[in-house]
Amino acid sequence: MQPNTQLEKTNQKVETTPAEPLVQQKDRWAFVHEVEKLPGGENILDCLQCGLCAGTCPTRFAMDYSPIQIIKMIHLGMREEVLSSSTIWVCSSCYSCYSRCPRAVDITTLMMSLRNLAMKEKIPVKKEIKPKFHKTFYEIVRKYGRLHEPELLMKILKKSDLPNLYNNVKFGWSLLRKGRLKLRPTKIGNHAELLAILEKTAKEEAQ
Amino acid sequence: MLEEPRIGVFICHCGGNISDTIDVARVKEIIGSLGHVKLAETFEYMCSNPGQEMIKKAIDEHKLNRVVVASCSPRMHLDTFRQAVKSAGLNSYLLDMINIREHCSWVHDDKEKATSKAIALIRGAVERAKFLEPLTPKSLKVTESVLVIGGGIAGIYSALELADKGYQVYLVERNPSIGGHMAQLSKTFPTFDCSACILTPKMVSVSQHPNIKIFTNAEPVAVKGSPGNYQVDIRIRPRYVNLEKCTACGECARKCPVKKPSKFEENLGQEKAIYIPFKQAIPNCYVIDKDYCLFLTRGICRICERFCKGEAIDFTQQEQVVSLDVGAIIACTGYSLIDSKLFGQYNYGYHPDIVTNLQFERLMLQGLHKPSNGEVPKKIAFILCVGSRSTATNACEYCCKIGCMNAIKHALLLDKSVPGAEPWIFYTDIRAHGKGYEEFYAKAREHHTTFIRGRVAEVVPKGNSLVVKAEDTVLGKQIEEPFDLVVLSPALVPNISTKELAEMLGIDLGPDSFFLEVHHKLRGVETKREGIFIAGCAQGPKDIRETTMESMATASKVATFLGRGKISVSPEVAFLVPDKCNLCGVCIEQCPTKAIKKGKKEVTIDPISCVGCGICVPVCPKEAIDLKHSTEAQLIAQIEGVSREGDTSPKIIAFIERMTAYGSADLGGQSRRSYTSQVRLVGVPSTGRLGIKHLLHAFASGADGVIFVEGDDSLFKEDQLRERIIQLKKDLGKFGIQSLRIQSITTTIPQFEKIMSLFDAFVERISKLGPIPREKREELEKYLKGEQIATQHAT
Ligand SMILES: Cc1cc2nc3c(=O)[nH]c(=O)nc-3n(C[C@H](O)[C@H](O)[C@H](O)COP(=O)(O)OP(=O)(O)OC[C@H]3O[C@@H](n4cnc5c(N)ncnc54)[C@H](O)[C@@H]3O)c2cc1C
Ligand code: SF4
Ligand code: SF4
Ligand code: SF4
Ligand code: SF4
Repeated sequence: MQPNTQLEKTNQKVETTPAEPLVQQKDRWAFVHEVEKLPGGENILDCLQCGLCAGTCPTRFAMDYSPIQIIKMIHLGMREEVLSSSTIWVCSSCYSCYSRCPRAVDITTLMMSLRNLAMKEKIPVKKEIKPKFHKTFYEIVRKYGRLHEPELLMKILKKSDLPNLYNNVKFGWSLLRKGRLKLRPTKIGNHAELLAILEKTAKEEAQ
Repeated sequence: MLEEPRIGVFICHCGGNISDTIDVARVKEIIGSLGHVKLAETFEYMCSNPGQEMIKKAIDEHKLNRVVVASCSPRMHLDTFRQAVKSAGLNSYLLDMINIREHCSWVHDDKEKATSKAIALIRGAVERAKFLEPLTPKSLKVTESVLVIGGGIAGIYSALELADKGYQVYLVERNPSIGGHMAQLSKTFPTFDCSACILTPKMVSVSQHPNIKIFTNAEPVAVKGSPGNYQVDIRIRPRYVNLEKCTACGECARKCPVKKPSKFEENLGQEKAIYIPFKQAIPNCYVIDKDYCLFLTRGICRICERFCKGEAIDFTQQEQVVSLDVGAIIACTGYSLIDSKLFGQYNYGYHPDIVTNLQFERLMLQGLHKPSNGEVPKKIAFILCVGSRSTATNACEYCCKIGCMNAIKHALLLDKSVPGAEPWIFYTDIRAHGKGYEEFYAKAREHHTTFIRGRVAEVVPKGNSLVVKAEDTVLGKQIEEPFDLVVLSPALVPNISTKELAEMLGIDLGPDSFFLEVHHKLRGVETKREGIFIAGCAQGPKDIRETTMESMATASKVATFLGRGKISVSPEVAFLVPDKCNLCGVCIEQCPTKAIKKGKKEVTIDPISCVGCGICVPVCPKEAIDLKHSTEAQLIAQIEGVSREGDTSPKIIAFIERMTAYGSADLGGQSRRSYTSQVRLVGVPSTGRLGIKHLLHAFASGADGVIFVEGDDSLFKEDQLRERIIQLKKDLGKFGIQSLRIQSITTTIPQFEKIMSLFDAFVERISKLGPIPREKREELEKYLKGEQIATQHAT
């Protein structure tokens, strides 16, 4: 019989160090199951990786990973990368992906859940993301019971970022002229009740 | 009891397979001492020739009129022993087999316990045997003709195949012409055959075949009868043009003043109120659309009548119903496209240049142009999976199977017919299964088709173009690309009124709403109702090759069915006990094969349609129905025999459906999956055969718990079983028996592990509950004898 020279040759070249697996199998499913329990994560394994969510997302351009990538990363158990991604913070909760997803993956709610998880675990956010926006947003809503856009702008826009400031002021002016923007903040009725609700949820969250 | 029973019991050693675990000598001794048992024998191999000879000789010598064989599974050797007793002059239904191998010796280790269980099982069979009656399978002549519903390529192919074999075929088509979807297609993947060129010769053959009669503008409205002898009513809508006289000269249409959108052109063209669907239509005859014709809507005009030289126009035509006698039916009603408007993001219907792939076929044949302005489109987007592979409401979870190849075909056709064309295909996964398909896909890449992997998010009209927005998931980048024309590939759904037809025929639909075959792989063209077959896209999306192959398979199955000339009908069917039925009709709805019919004065059960499942028996409040070969007397005698025997506690009776579930338990035995010997199996045609009475008999005579094991593919469906169990639990409560004492399970053949672990767990549960007290048993016994007891509530 002819010796299998092909085999012999390759045998000599066999690498001695084993390939590094992409994810550790055990951890991988742990994260998938963790996500499945979060609001919005129920159908995560139903995703067929079609990419529609990424195609439809209006804030995709500002994300480091697209929604479909986030889903794939969850499938692969890439917990850290998911929770530190800018995606979960950039998502504007427009619901466009969820309403069009062919497999009923509630990505929008999932993004909120992942944000909460990241906050709870104090995972540092990428520097291009400004949790300051979310915090300021929250403070204003807490103060008046609704958003007051001019105040939000004043607080988050850097004085040095002149072009951005200019654009926003220009846009604000046109809104003002059409009566879509109010310079003075207004409070909702029964503001105290809102505060009570916020207190209660904060307490429950803490538990 | 017909006569004094003289029972012979034959116990097999199975070369140690049985006798190593079961003390057959003791079994012989105890069984031999039972009443009416004239003889009990054991033998090394009962199924061998000497074993069979032994049975035959004993029948003769001891004048036996009942035989019980205790050996392996009846699934294995029932026919062997039936033949044996038959050749000894005994009716083969006077034999009963009881399984002490797969259900006993192979699954228990303790010799004492296994022997005691074997005695119980055999005693049940002996008790049952006392009530066995001789039966003869009926033989019926079949009508040697076939009804084919649907004149697409599937109908055409199976009709031709059967007509060539010499059968009379009736081909019924709803549209004015046969041909189906294939008549609308341009070229076909993966070979570029011109669709009309391969289809129309077949259509002509159909129309000229002496054994085929075509009915167009027609559909079935009622189906009666039974396998081998169906009567079908066909409603024929008027054409208002005489089929014999019309020469298809077209003079009428030239003169007709009314224009309407053409269905054949998928609304991308117009035709007159009197029209021919397409030039090669079969029958080649004009037809009047009654919704558009001025005379039929407003009583004016009649111009066509004036100009038709052949005097073919006939406004006096009325709708008519003809009745056909056929032995078999093929349902091949094809598919339709899902309405793309259901999926708003594609903006179908809001812009003329967003079309379906079927419309694109017509555009190609008309000379490709944009519906909006007639210009030749250059850059064309093909969007796949529209409404397919999705769990959203209105969408289809399955794959359309032809969308990918079809878009690739269109891209390649464009490359040939439109210079400088730029086809883009937006896909989720390219599905190129099938001979020559992968090569076809490669060709499209070589011919500069752009493939974008990403499901399209939306199509938005912008200025002169249509912008398609999607993520290129390979690049990880969003793209917004302008196009001249957008072509959608909608999901394939069952044709309109498929559901009604299924109901009419008494066949099932699958979860995808297409006709359901009996077995995905082994019986792919048969339905649950004998004599009714399916073919083509009515069974599920498929391409033309698969459709024609399947149609030939269907024709072959039909020929085999009709070719026997007669059908043998099992005598194990339900029958009405005289003078009990009060016409309430509750049984009718329960029967899965629609065998029960209600007349003015009586309810009848058709012994040919009845499959003997017995579901109807316990639902009759008047006990007016019984089942041959599983009669009340036989069943109750067996239950009592099995439950009474032995003093193990607790005793569990598992009623097991005789096909799938029984096979599963057999497989468990073959795999030597041992389980508790407390469980004793009693085969039933389906657990639907059982009612509260049977449970009470079991409990009264010694059982402490009851399990129903049903086959996953049984006619007694899982939800029916669940409902029945809920009802039984309630009823048991009235007799003071805990609902925990009954449990059900459904299984496929390989899932025996599931059954066996349930057996073990159930015995544990019943042990905790403890046995049923003796007083309770006596109380039930009294009740069953007809004495009233105060009903009370379960503890
Ligand atoms: C756009 C497009 C392009 C395609 N291109 C290709 C291709 O290139 N190559 C390929 O292999 N496949 C192709 N296919 C698939 C092909 O069309 C099907 O495989 C084939 O037509 C199936 O034939 P059928 O007879 O099962 O169904 P159909 O063609 O749908 O025929 C069913 C017939 O039954 C009739 N009918 C329905 N209900 C009733 C009723 N109740 N009573 C009486 N009659 C009834 C209908 O009127 C119809 O005539 C294409 C499909 C589409 C949508
Ligand atoms: S749209 Fe839904 S199915 Fe498609 S990739 Fe996104 S999450 Fe997955
Ligand atoms: S909900 Fe968030 S992730 Fe989804 S499309 Fe909108 S912005 Fe994108
Ligand atoms: S065949 Fe192609 S287009 Fe049709 S559903 Fe399947 S993957 Fe989508
Ligand atoms: S036994 Fe089954 S098939 Fe026969 S009549 Fe009763 S329910 Fe119908």
